[in-house]
Amino acid sequence: MRRLRSFLPLWFMLPASVIVTLFFVIPVFMTFAFSFTTMSSDTGVLGNRYIVSEATLLKLKELNIDPVLVASLGEIRFVFDDTNLKNISQLNLKPSLLKEINTKLKNKVFATEKKLYAALKTLKNRPRSFKDRKAISKATVSSMMNKEFLTADEFSQGLVSVGINLDAPAFNQLLELTNTSWHWTTDNYAELMASDFTLKILGNTLFYVFCTLFFNVGFALLLALATFYMPSGQSKIFRALWLIPRISPSVIYVLLWKWFTFDSGFMSHFLSSFGFTPQDWLKEFPWVFVILANGFVGASMGMLIFSSAIVAIPGDVLRAAEVDGAYPLQQIRRIILPLLAWPILFVTSYQTLSLLTSFEYILLLTDGGPGFFTTETWALNAYHTALSNYFGNLRYGFGATLAVVLVVVGIILSLLYLRLFDFKKLVTEPQIET
Amino acid sequence: MEIKLEKFSKSFGSVKVIEELDLTVGNGEMIALLGPSGCGKTTTLYAICGIHRVSAGRILFGDRDVTALPPQEKNVGVVFQSFALYPHLSIYENIAFPLRIRKEKNADIERKVREISATLYMEHLLERRPGQLSGGQQQRVALARALVRRPDILLMDEPLANLDASLRLEMRTEIRRIQQESGCTSILVTHDQVEAMSMCDRIALMNNGVIQQIGTPDDMYHQPRNKFIAGFIGNPPISFIDGAVENGQFTSQGMSFGLPDNLKKASLTSGQKVSVGIRPEHLQPGSENPVAGEVTFIESQGREILYDLKLGDGQMLRSIQSGARTCKLGDRVTWSINVNAVLFFDAQDERILPA
Ligand SMILES: Nc1ncnc2c1ncn2[C@@H]1O[C@H](COP(=O)(O)OP(=O)(O)OP(=O)(O)O)[C@@H](O)[C@H]1O
Ligand SMILES: [Mg+2]
Repeated sequence: MRRLRSFLPLWFMLPASVIVTLFFVIPVFMTFAFSFTTMSSDTGVLGNRYIVSEATLLKLKELNIDPVLVASLGEIRFVFDDTNLKNISQLNLKPSLLKEINTKLKNKVFATEKKLYAALKTLKNRPRSFKDRKAISKATVSSMMNKEFLTADEFSQGLVSVGINLDAPAFNQLLELTNTSWHWTTDNYAELMASDFTLKILGNTLFYVFCTLFFNVGFALLLALATFYMPSGQSKIFRALWLIPRISPSVIYVLLWKWFTFDSGFMSHFLSSFGFTPQDWLKEFPWVFVILANGFVGASMGMLIFSSAIVAIPGDVLRAAEVDGAYPLQQIRRIILPLLAWPILFVTSYQTLSLLTSFEYILLLTDGGPGFFTTETWALNAYHTALSNYFGNLRYGFGATLAVVLVVVGIILSLLYLRLFDFKKLVTEPQIET
Repeated sequence: MEIKLEKFSKSFGSVKVIEELDLTVGNGEMIALLGPSGCGKTTTLYAICGIHRVSAGRILFGDRDVTALPPQEKNVGVVFQSFALYPHLSIYENIAFPLRIRKEKNADIERKVREISATLYMEHLLERRPGQLSGGQQQRVALARALVRRPDILLMDEPLANLDASLRLEMRTEIRRIQQESGCTSILVTHDQVEAMSMCDRIALMNNGVIQQIGTPDDMYHQPRNKFIAGFIGNPPISFIDGAVENGQFTSQGMSFGLPDNLKKASLTSGQKVSVGIRPEHLQPGSENPVAGEVTFIESQGREILYDLKLGDGQMLRSIQSGARTCKLGDRVTWSINVNAVLFFDAQDERILPA
């Protein structure tokens, strides 16, 4: 085949390249970079923020910083600064009262709501209704807590605005303690090596991948072979039937599994007529259903590939096996399976990679449970750690570390499989005439 | 073992491919199933070995009715048109396959495979895979695989179709030798009449799922039962001239000649429309029963020269002559017909037999 010399094909590839770069290449590099950081939802991703959080207050207390200061950092204030005055002007207050507030209370800070109300009472046009007083209180309430400040100046202004005035050394100390920016580290990897959960999750993942793969590929083969030997009408129906898991939305599919297994579901109902007590079968045997749900979905792809590979075997080869005395089981063992070696290898490798990285069915079915880490796999754990932590703090850095391990394993497996596929070239030597 | 097809019919869905075919192949005989493409040769073969289910009729091996038997239960060796070797197995394992299925002992298998590959001069190929063999070598492997389990019946579906001319010639004699040595009843499917005539005891000529005639190659050539057979057998082919019988004469616009004596007594009425078949070797230079025309085509075939002669009414005759070229393109010549060898056919294309 003649190859083109121009760059034209590259232009055609441009949209694809952009997508691949945007959604695959850059994330991989970023994940790698993130894995060497302490990023979390505490630090943010952009870094260099100044935040006073509950954690900061605890730290300040530990360091024996002036308790009054610590207390005032944690408290709320009622502040009549420019921003808050603007907020008040938007309330539905009498103009005379507004005017008085603007002149008499400007830049005043009150430590408690009580003090605020007392001050309001001193006004000539004081607000009569409780509602108005409450509105003013709401419009002026301020706190240092959990506010993000981008620069030291902003932070200092923020302090002043809630009525905290510090000398330079005290301010600098506070500045350092509230700086939340992340930093570079290899601790994530050390933690991964040391953690007790690592082994548990690794074991889960291996168990999940091997069992699902075995079920998936075996079942696909069984289907492909069965439909091959069936009358063609029946086999068409059967094949179409097995595509349904592919086209049904995964959420619905998993819901059906849940309905099937829960304690008043179909399975309990059915088995109770054989004397089994109804129970939540998913809770009882979580792995069985995780593997079945994944396996059935995956089997349809393998079945399609195996079916077309079997059909591609020259009809005369199978007829020859027939007249040579081979019955279907012998044909399968001695002719079809050896000729399916490559499709089987292909499906196996493809499924290994996708099983390693995909976790949507486990997420929807058991979310890693029941109980602690029962069905938590590596990919699911990375997701939990970095993006959906029930306990609050999202650890981007450590999650990225988990993901990096997965990426590395995936790449190694891909290379290994590619080597195996190349092996095909070695097997088919050129034809020799003698 | 004798093969007998009794009113065998085969249809695929609504398409009737074979209708009520009768055929008997004697014990140890080799018969050629000859016919144009799509006439049902392969279908018949597949029914005999059991690959196809029979739609109607019976198939007997000797006295045994094997109509409903699956292929696994018949001891039939088949050489497929495409060879159908097992691509993932070595040549040794390909040949050993039928024996392995029968769970024969390794030592027996080894001995039989060596034996048959020695007969077919292919011992040096045993370690290779089918993809590493030439077409002729693959063909021999296919034959070895069919023969290794000593089949009662050997079926070959156009086994020589993929070979070059010289290899084909060599394999023809080889197959015939092995068939005669092993004495197994054989059917050779082919659409090459030379192959059929040179290899087989008898020929069954098929057209549209019907056997037109069964006989020896000589029979077929000289005594065809109808126009199809006369046209199919013979290379270069016979030429047909349409005309009528009048007063003991065959007449068409371009030629006429007196009927041969043995045909005069046949039930030919005057004015009856007939078609005559004249083989190229029966039109030669000479003066008896002359026919005149223009030479429109000359082809040298080495030893012989093929001429096309265009008659006055536009119909064509073919002539094959040995020796030097006697005329050139466009010449008007007058040649002689060997009237006693002319074949006569009626309006239904059936042969009008001499009385
Ligand atoms: N499985 C099938 N389904 C439908 N029609 C078929 C099938 N197999 C064969 N036929 C038809 O039956 C007829 C005979 O086919 P067959 O293969 O026996 O021809 P053949 O004589 O072997 O031709 P060739 O010399 O080209 O091999 C053809 O018209 C073919 O289209
Ligand atoms: Mg055929």
